[in-house]
Amino acid sequence: MNYFRLSTALVAMACATLIGCQESPSDAAPQGFAGLGENAEEFAQADASTPLSFPRDHGSHPDYRIEWWYLTANLEDDKGEPLGLQWTLFRQALTPPDERPAPSPWAADQVWMAHLGISRGETHVAAERFARSHSEHTNGQAGAEAAPFQAWIDDWLLESPPGANFEDFTLQAYSGEGADRFGYTLTLSAQGPLVWHGENGFNAKTVEGQGSRYYSQPFLSITGRVTLSGETREVSGQGWLDREWSSQLLSQEQTGWDWFSLHLDDGRKLMAYRLRGGGEAGGDYVFAHLISVDGQTQLIGADRVTLTPLETQTVANRDIPTRWSLTLPDAGLQLIVEARHPNRWMPTSVPYWEGDVVVRQAETQENVGVGYLEMTGY
Amino acid sequence: MLVLHQVHKTFSTPQGTLPVLNGINLTLQQGDSLALMGESGSGKSTLLHLAAGLDLPSDGEICIDGHALSSLDEPARARLRRQSLGLVFQQFHLVPSLSVIDNLRLQARLADREDAEWTAHLMARLGLSGREAYYPEQLSGGQQQRLAIGRALAARPRLLLADEPTGNLDEQSADTVLGLLLDLVKETRCALLMVTHSARVAAPLDRLVHLHLGRLEDNAS
Amino acid sequence: MILRVLATLLAHYRRHPGQLAMLLLGLWVASALWSSVQAVNATAKDSYARANALFSANLDELSRRDGQPLTREDYLRLRREGFPVSPILEGTLEIDGERLTIVGIEPLTLPSSNTLGASGAALTAFITPPWQTRLAPDTLDLLGLSRQQAPGMTPAVDSAGDRAGDSAEDRAGDSIEDSGQRLPPLALRTDLPPNTLVMDIAAAALLLDRDNTLSQLVTAPGALSTAPEGYRLTRAATLASPEQLTESFHLNLTALALLSLVVGLFIVQAALGLAMEQRLTTLRTLRALGVPAATLVMAILLELLVFGVLGAALGLASGIWLAGQLLPDVATTLSSLYQADVNRSLVLPWHYWVGSLAITFGGLLLAGSGVLWRAARLNVLALGQSQAWRLAYQRQLNRMTLGAAAVAVLALGLVLWLSLLPPGQGVLISFGFVAALLLSSALCLPPLINGVLHLLQRWLRRHPLAHWAVADIQLQLPRLSLAMMALLIALATNLGVSSMVGGFRLTFLDWLDQRLAAPLYVNASPSTLAPMLDWLDARPDVAETLPTARGSVDLLAMDDAQEQGTRKRIALFGITPAPTITDRWPLLDTTEGRPTAWAALSANSVFINEQMAVAQQLVPGDAVTLDTPQGARPFEIAAVYPDYGNPRQQILVPTEVLIQRFGGEVASIGLVVNDRADRQALRQAMTDRFDVSTEAMVDQQEIKRLATQIFERTFTITRALNGLTLGVAALALLATLLAQARERRRQLASLWALGVPRKTLTFLPLFQLGGLALFTGVVAIPLGIAITWTLVAIINVAAFGWRLPLYLFPWDILITLITALGVALAAAALPSIQLWRTSPQAMLNQGAT
Repeated sequence: MNYFRLSTALVAMACATLIGCQESPSDAAPQGFAGLGENAEEFAQADASTPLSFPRDHGSHPDYRIEWWYLTANLEDDKGEPLGLQWTLFRQALTPPDERPAPSPWAADQVWMAHLGISRGETHVAAERFARSHSEHTNGQAGAEAAPFQAWIDDWLLESPPGANFEDFTLQAYSGEGADRFGYTLTLSAQGPLVWHGENGFNAKTVEGQGSRYYSQPFLSITGRVTLSGETREVSGQGWLDREWSSQLLSQEQTGWDWFSLHLDDGRKLMAYRLRGGGEAGGDYVFAHLISVDGQTQLIGADRVTLTPLETQTVANRDIPTRWSLTLPDAGLQLIVEARHPNRWMPTSVPYWEGDVVVRQAETQENVGVGYLEMTGY
Repeated sequence: MLVLHQVHKTFSTPQGTLPVLNGINLTLQQGDSLALMGESGSGKSTLLHLAAGLDLPSDGEICIDGHALSSLDEPARARLRRQSLGLVFQQFHLVPSLSVIDNLRLQARLADREDAEWTAHLMARLGLSGREAYYPEQLSGGQQQRLAIGRALAARPRLLLADEPTGNLDEQSADTVLGLLLDLVKETRCALLMVTHSARVAAPLDRLVHLHLGRLEDNAS
Repeated sequence: MILRVLATLLAHYRRHPGQLAMLLLGLWVASALWSSVQAVNATAKDSYARANALFSANLDELSRRDGQPLTREDYLRLRREGFPVSPILEGTLEIDGERLTIVGIEPLTLPSSNTLGASGAALTAFITPPWQTRLAPDTLDLLGLSRQQAPGMTPAVDSAGDRAGDSAEDRAGDSIEDSGQRLPPLALRTDLPPNTLVMDIAAAALLLDRDNTLSQLVTAPGALSTAPEGYRLTRAATLASPEQLTESFHLNLTALALLSLVVGLFIVQAALGLAMEQRLTTLRTLRALGVPAATLVMAILLELLVFGVLGAALGLASGIWLAGQLLPDVATTLSSLYQADVNRSLVLPWHYWVGSLAITFGGLLLAGSGVLWRAARLNVLALGQSQAWRLAYQRQLNRMTLGAAAVAVLALGLVLWLSLLPPGQGVLISFGFVAALLLSSALCLPPLINGVLHLLQRWLRRHPLAHWAVADIQLQLPRLSLAMMALLIALATNLGVSSMVGGFRLTFLDWLDQRLAAPLYVNASPSTLAPMLDWLDARPDVAETLPTARGSVDLLAMDDAQEQGTRKRIALFGITPAPTITDRWPLLDTTEGRPTAWAALSANSVFINEQMAVAQQLVPGDAVTLDTPQGARPFEIAAVYPDYGNPRQQILVPTEVLIQRFGGEVASIGLVVNDRADRQALRQAMTDRFDVSTEAMVDQQEIKRLATQIFERTFTITRALNGLTLGVAALALLATLLAQARERRRQLASLWALGVPRKTLTFLPLFQLGGLALFTGVVAIPLGIAITWTLVAIINVAAFGWRLPLYLFPWDILITLITALGVALAAAALPSIQLWRTSPQAMLNQGAT
């Protein structure tokens, strides 16, 4: 799902902002995309020639330019209050494989970045971490190992216990000090199979054949504790983990995207996105995968999906669509997707909107699911 | 009293040497008064300055009271000046820092022969009584020149040298000042050498000489 | 028309070039001294601002409790434990023989409020080979590169400094060899501190050959509530910024510069006044010819403007030159006294130029205001002018007396205000007091001189020449009084400052003698010193070891120890209270005498330094609450000790207590060796046994020499400025004398005609002016003493935190009088020589009234 989320250039942008370069958010996306076309051919290229291989592909792929481990979760606490979580680890190669610096202390060829978000009611908190790779160090400040699976930055750690590779996980991530401390300790357990997006796990994104290696674990059941606003509560619910890596990039015309990952009450999962601009004849590029209870994917053609904003609200001085119509006529789905609260702005080095949503039947207004929505470029 | 013998004076200028006086011979006896006339630039003032020992001749000899000036060094000439000479200038040359009375007795005191009675007498004669504490700039031009004359005579000099003493005054003041000058000269029985370009001023004096092209032309005796 | 009028006015200076020279001289010196000090201050401020932006002052710091150097392992472990630390690697490199500071940073973890490091999309370039060297443009001067050619260049490195165990002396010998290393490509950043190269930590580690060791681990202020286990946390807030520390120092400089400015403006005022007086006829003629008063004023204003431009240009140019000469000493002082790094080449922001120009023009207008006033109220017919001046001057003297009295009342008020303030406060008020004192004294000087001359005239009635001389100097007084006022101010300040410096030197040397009780000192890292202490104790040639220790502790509020917000980090210093030290260690104040105080120190009391006593308003007998590792504990203050040269507050405890109770570490070891001990052998044995350089063991004499050197440097600029001020005062006097020289010659010629010998006339002015200056010198003595008192008792306490006893040096006083005489004679010599050379007859003839 999160293919376009925070790509190479955005990581660089994030670092830039971190260090004090002031660029307006509206400039961020096009400039970010502008840098994406360079040097791509010097990196390994994603294609469908070989199938995914596990556990190897759970770890990092430093020869590819960009990669992420992306978890979202729709949970409910012991008081019955719904809350949403996000934890993402990004990797970006600083140099093509052939140009890596000679190993020395501190010399880096990869930059890592992670985001942590918690949303409950009107509350929304976020944190961000950066790290460089340490070429002479196997257990560095940040990294991702295939088996036993571990993905971490500083003390934020997503790992599988030995032997339970990529089926059971623990995740621990906290930020802040004292009363301002927030974060979570979670136990995650897969209730279904991994889902491959496309042939051999290659998800083509353009007519020219560019794309990414992309698989998901959308069937996670989660329990744990969340600390927020000075109190810690027991939580449980469901989660969605995305794995994606690529070297190939987006077109300059794309100004942003709207991305949905939905857990339907009937057990099906739905992933859908709209790339604003960059589609055929300059239109939007729309894509959807409907995933059955047993993990089979059904590709919905672009002409058989409609994604329409119904209502916008002002968040962080921007107009953000917080209510959407999502229809897949072939599957008989006419859905309204609505943010639980508009205040889900991520004030990170590259800012974007990411938050929990409820899914309703358009006709009956009956709740039929929950999910996560990501919107960038507003 | 005053003898000038073959006195020559030349000044060096950027255009070469400029002869001003060419062999002046002049004698002035005690009680004599002599008017020295001539056009502007004829060397009158130069001659007067030489007579006062303010400058030395290029050649020739000047004797005052039997002292050859050339044989005296500067301090000795200064002593001779303060003890035997009185000088009156066209521009008065009063001392602005001193009061009228202090100006009057300055030379007498410098010569260490102050005579209070004579000073008081002079003040009365000069018509300056009651203005002792005034400062020179508070006096009129005639009063300032009278004070300058008084200062020159306060030490009872044997020779009074006056350089256009009435040149800065109007006719009436000039007559008053001149009359006073001559009266006082008579009173003190000192010799007077007065430089002037005015025949009217020169007339009352005993003798009159003309200075022309650096030489004296004796007109009267 | 106005230009015609201006041309007519300016024609005066063609005839009197001396007056023009004097006017420009005044403007020049006033503007030059002021702008030079401002240039020094601006450069220092710029350096502080950039250093503050770099780090230290606004980041918390971690260090290891065991004293071992920090490594990459520490960094990674702390990050993996969740502590948001960032590594910094610092070292020095030599390039073209110049030593430069290398700062290696990790931009991804450096707290984001910090402006250091890369910008924008260049981040990748910054953190990937060949990396980048970020440096300020002024650092390029050291490398001999121009701004145009520099970007992208990779200068070769002579040698890497700061390798473990190396000392500056070791490196000096082999520094000029090319190490074969090159800097990463240069990139300019104006906001970096001078002489500093900032680069990615990977590049710095390679250049400095440091492998895994680190210089610092920093974290955003307040990011950690407690230090991680095994580490010590130093809060940014407890580290005073160089700007705060040096504020008083710069205020001192500014005060001195202001003094020079005022003295310089005296010259300008004198010159303008004289030119005005001599042009009164011209002005009247112009008015009579139909020039309106307003046009005349405008023309004079325009004239002032022309002079202002000339003077400011001259002043700025030479001020900047002078600042360049003064700056190295100032920089050395600031770095040795406050550890503040200041650029050794000038950095001048736009407001410096505007400020300097404004000061020059403002001063000129102030000095010219009298002239403008007179031109505006010009009496065309000049009626009563010549008669009235004596009366007018008398009125002016009366006004001066009144003004002096008024300012004296103000000074008294300021002193009263100061007496109400706690010690160590009121630097500005103190300077105000000194200024009021100087102004009041300067204002009452002319009436005083006038009165004395009046009496003298009466007394000398029988001595015509002396009488004349006194009367004559009284006549000159209206002109000379300004120059004499300037001389008084310069002399008094000179005496004040030199007495202060002299007194300080005595106190300081005495203090050094007492404080450096041990004949030898060993300096090394705490981890080396700890085992060395046992080793030294075991040696037969060592009679006594006197370890000192360092640490820090949070001082809690006196009244409310629980209040979190009022904690303040204070340095702890530990000494060994053995008789060798306690017999001599200087104490300023105790409750019940020295022996009791020392006994108390060994029994859980503390001593505090004078700086702390002043800042916290503590006296012996008070208690302080310290946040010890065992919890908050009260400690009684047994004594206050002087701590010259230390800009910070300090608490003294026995070394053992500091190490055991406050987690301090050994800082140095004082050594008393046996009479027969071979120091060289001991030094050698120490070097062999421990990994320390031969310089680790320092002789007491060497420390004293260094300390004295630092002391002398501290006052170099003070003395330089003072000397210059005195020079300006001499110039003011000379200018005044030259300006009236023609008229004076005419006066003297009259006297000469009356039979006063020439020699007498030549020397008379020397006696007149010498006497006047001597009188001024005598007046300057009590004034100077008052200034000394203000400096040692108020300004120093506020500026440095220490109070000095008031010492008076008869020799300094004598020097003041001799200087006064010398200045007057030097100034009078030139007119006298002129007089000697001019034929008096010519002088007589010159006289057109």
